[in-house]
Amino acid sequence: MPVAATIKGWTIVGIEKMDHSEAIQEMIAERYLLDELTPETREAFEEHLFDCPECALDLRAGAVFVETAKAQLPGLTRALPSSALISSPKPGIRQKWWLSWLQPAFAVPVFATLLLVVGYQNLVTYPGLRSAANQPRLLPWVPLHGATRGSGQMAITADRQHGVALPIDLPPQPSLGAYDSYYFDLYNPQGKLDWSGVVAAANQRDGSDQRLSLVIPGETLRNGSYSLVVSGAAAHGERTVIDRYAFDLHLTD
Amino acid sequence: MLYFCPSDRAESALQFHSFDAGYIESLCAGDSQAQEHFVGYFTELLQLKLRSRLQSPQAVEDVCQETFARVFAVLRRDGGLRQPERLGAFVNQVCNHVLFEHYRSTSGGESLDAKGRLEPAAKGADALEIVAAGQIQDKVREILLGLDPHDRLLLKAVFLDERDRDEVCREYGVDRDYLRVLLHRAKREFKAEYVKRLGNPTPLGINPERF
Repeated sequence: MPVAATIKGWTIVGIEKMDHSEAIQEMIAERYLLDELTPETREAFEEHLFDCPECALDLRAGAVFVETAKAQLPGLTRALPSSALISSPKPGIRQKWWLSWLQPAFAVPVFATLLLVVGYQNLVTYPGLRSAANQPRLLPWVPLHGATRGSGQMAITADRQHGVALPIDLPPQPSLGAYDSYYFDLYNPQGKLDWSGVVAAANQRDGSDQRLSLVIPGETLRNGSYSLVVSGAAAHGERTVIDRYAFDLHLTD
Repeated sequence: MLYFCPSDRAESALQFHSFDAGYIESLCAGDSQAQEHFVGYFTELLQLKLRSRLQSPQAVEDVCQETFARVFAVLRRDGGLRQPERLGAFVNQVCNHVLFEHYRSTSGGESLDAKGRLEPAAKGADALEIVAAGQIQDKVREILLGLDPHDRLLLKAVFLDERDRDEVCREYGVDRDYLRVLLHRAKREFKAEYVKRLGNPTPLGINPERF
C-alpha cells in the first residue's frame, strides 16, 4: 500500500513499506545483489535499507563479497573443466558415437517411445500430482525433542507416499532479540546435508516457544538416522547451535 | 564543498548511530565527528543504490555530493527534522530527487558523467586498510574454494560474465532459488568475518525490540 510521510516539508510518498522480517524471509538482499527485483520492490527495499542498519550491513557484506569474488573467480575457475560441468558437446570420438544415435534406425523408435512417455505424464501423472498437491493431506505427526531437553534418539515410522511432519518447538531466546533468524540443517543417514532452511525469529515477548513444522516429502526419505541442527543467528550473522534433534526413520514402503 | 568519506571507513562507515535529535543537532551545528560519520555511513548506502542506476563512478560521486549538500542545507535551514529517526528515509528521498534531476539533465545532453572527465584521484590506503583488505580477500578465496566447482562457475557466469540469469540457470541445470541460496550461504559465511573486521556493528541506541 502506498504510504506518505512528511519531514519538514519533504514528502516521502508512493513506496510500499517493507519490514525487516519480510526482507529476510524473501531474501531481498540476495535478490537485490542478483538484480532480480522489480523497480517497485527495489525502491521499497532501499527505503527500508536507509532506515535499517541490519539490512544495510547485510547488503554491504554481500556487495563486498561479490566485488571481491569477481576479482578472484577468474583465477579460481581457469583450471576447471567447464565442459565436464555443464552440458556442452564433448569433442572427438565420443561426439561421433553419440551422433550415431541420431540415425533414423535408432531415432524413430526412440522418439516414438518418448512421445508415449510424455503423453502418459501429461494425461495421467501430472494431473494426479497436481490434484494431490492442491488437496488437504493427513501426515503422521511426531513431536521432536531436542538433545538439550534431555531426550534420546526417537524412532519415527513414515511412508513414501505421505512423508512426515515434525513439529519443532524452538526454545525462548536467551534475551529478547538475541536471534534475528533460525537456520535449520537436515542431515541424512549418510551424514550429508540434505536440506537447509531459514526462518525469521518471531518476537516472543511472553517467553513462549516458537512453534514450527518441518514437512519432509516422502520421496526424499530413506531408512536410517537423521539429524536436524537448529542454529540461532544474531543480527550480525554469527550463528549459535541451539538444539540438535536426532531421529531414526523407518519407512513402511 | 566536497564531503569526504573518512579514510578509515572500513572500520567506521557502517557503524550505525542512532539517528536521534542529538545526532541531528550535532549535524546542524557542524560537528565534524557527526558529519564524518554521517557522510561515511550514507556514502556506502548511496553508492550501493546508485551504482545500478548510473554508468560512471564520477556520476555516482556527483549525485552523492549533491545529496549531502542538499541534506545539510535543509538541516541547517530548518534547524533539524521533525522525525529524526527517519533521517535515513530523508537522505534516500533527497537522493531520489537528485537522481531524477540528473537523469533529466543528462537526457538534455548535459551529462555529469561526460566522457573525458577526470576520475577523482584514488586515496592512498594505510597499512591497516591493506591488511584488512588482505584478510577480506583471503576469506572470500576460502569461501570460493569451499564451493563445488560447478557453483564457482555459476557465480562467475552471473557476476563476472554478467550473462543472462535465466540462460545461465538453464545451462547449469539450476533454478533461481538455487542461485539465491548459494549467494545467501556465501554471504552469511563472509559476513561473520566482515563483521569481525568492522568491530561491533550494533548501533548505539538501537531499540532491540525493533528486531
